[in-house]
Amino acid sequence: MNLDELMAEVREINLSYLMLAQQMVRQDKTMAAFRLGISQEVADLVGSLSPAQVLKLARSGMLLSRLRFEDDSILDMLANYTKGKSLAQSHAAILMAGQELTALA
Amino acid sequence: MAKKSLISEVKETQLAIELIQVGARLQVLESETSLSRERLLKLYKEVKGVSPPKGMLPFSADWFLTWMPNVHSSLFINTFRTITKHTECAGIEAVLKSYRLYQEFLVGNQIEEVLSFTRAWTLVRFFESRMLQTTACCKCGGNFVVHPNDLHTDYECGLCRMPSRAGKTKKAGMEASAMSASPAENTSRKLKQKKVA
Repeated sequence: MNLDELMAEVREINLSYLMLAQQMVRQDKTMAAFRLGISQEVADLVGSLSPAQVLKLARSGMLLSRLRFEDDSILDMLANYTKGKSLAQSHAAILMAGQELTALA
Repeated sequence: MAKKSLISEVKETQLAIELIQVGARLQVLESETSLSRERLLKLYKEVKGVSPPKGMLPFSADWFLTWMPNVHSSLFINTFRTITKHTECAGIEAVLKSYRLYQEFLVGNQIEEVLSFTRAWTLVRFFESRMLQTTACCKCGGNFVVHPNDLHTDYECGLCRMPSRAGKTKKAGMEASAMSASPAENTSRKLKQKKVA
């Protein structure tokens, strides 16, 4: 994959991510905040972006969504479960539900 | 008698309908809305098609500490806390939304429901009255429902330190053997069983 292709992919993902996030926020702000892992202020901000702003953000060259694994324990549970699938998923869900959300400083 | 606002009545009826749909018992409706008992009864019958179950609500706080319910109630309370802490959503609205998220988790991962809505609501009430609390597991760091009067130094959650027979139900065993055994083995086993029978 050359650089142009890479940047195009990043732009594509950013665009779909932002559009999906906006749709989720408009449908139900609380649930969207929980699912996206962002606080209500950030959710408000995302919801209020204009299409032009979304495009500009998507073109920034950085991936706007980031991994939510703070340490290797959640990743480990989801990737190589030894206790059985449903238990590992429940365990990971408990840890992820208790995570701090991204908030404005 | 104070005059009732029509708009608030409509809103409360809407809330009651949503609560009935997720499986709330009549006592929950009575304490969360100001609608009369007769109206709620009628509404319940209209939404569910049957009369509401009678009798007391489950009142045991110990139920939430048993193994499987503890996993599910810990998931629910973590969701509820995150929602109430980071958004403006509060009260019964937050309970409802957390419960919806919990249900989505169950459907998405094909896990059977353990925590009913009424139990979830009771759990939140127990937390408010400090009959239950959460503590962090020393291994995974997750927050789990515990009794406030127990000792929690070096607490290990039920998932990091599983009780020896936990989750080993007849059904789970059958599913596991169905998953591990190859189709050929499975049929041969079935044949053997038939022969024995």
